[in-house]
Amino acid sequence: MSSILSPSVGDELPRLVIEAVDAEKMKTMAALLADSNPIHWDVDTVRELGMGHQPVNQGPNNLGYVMNMLGQWAGGAERIRHIRVRFLDNVFAGDQLEAGGKVTAVGDDGTVDCDVWLARDGTHPVLAGTATLSLV
Amino acid sequence: MEPWRVWLTNDVIGAPQRTDGIAHPMFCYYAAMAGLGVSIDEMFTLCYASADDGPMFGECDIKQLRPLEIGATYTVRGEITSAVRKQGERTGTFDIVAFQLEVVAPDGEVSSVVSNSFIFPRRP
Repeated sequence: MSSILSPSVGDELPRLVIEAVDAEKMKTMAALLADSNPIHWDVDTVRELGMGHQPVNQGPNNLGYVMNMLGQWAGGAERIRHIRVRFLDNVFAGDQLEAGGKVTAVGDDGTVDCDVWLARDGTHPVLAGTATLSLV
Repeated sequence: MEPWRVWLTNDVIGAPQRTDGIAHPMFCYYAAMAGLGVSIDEMFTLCYASADDGPMFGECDIKQLRPLEIGATYTVRGEITSAVRKQGERTGTFDIVAFQLEVVAPDGEVSSVVSNSFIFPRRP
């Protein structure tokens, strides 16, 4: 599959907005992963641990949003060859998130390097990293 | 890579439900974790922790060498690569445990390599 994209260094990637993180989907993911960590569904535990007042989203879900942003831009998430991220802060149920990125390098072989990020309310970073995509 | 599991996972992360048999690249991670050989709870126990300690994800590095296919059976192999104790102002004493997992396709080729680290708070 060829690409209609011809990115340049410095290009901003189209942002993806998650209007409100859904606590019910955290429960589904906990069941799928057999993840018994109560911070994903038990608000009392979250409070006891001093982590806030809402269930905490699973970190991989946050990475999934960033991959979705990259896939929408590149014409398919299978074009992601490498992604490396740090989880900087927790995401809570009800949070509004924005995923974005910027092109940092364009290779002759059709690869594109990007900085990527996920931010709460468009300003507070909760995830940051880099990605390499193949656009050919 | 059971189709029902793929559908539900796509629904959770807001990914499109594809009909071409190609799984979302987050399945590099999910497949690796599913093939860990122990549950997440058991993995925490291996790290002298439990879910009640509030462990957190630190870093995640995913190399997608070729897309995973829905319905295919993959083998996972891996190892713990490091365990480091640190001190943080907000978290106090914590350990960072890193491990690497390879997701191997039925033909023996590695489809993806996933390197993760988890942060384990060590409250007194």
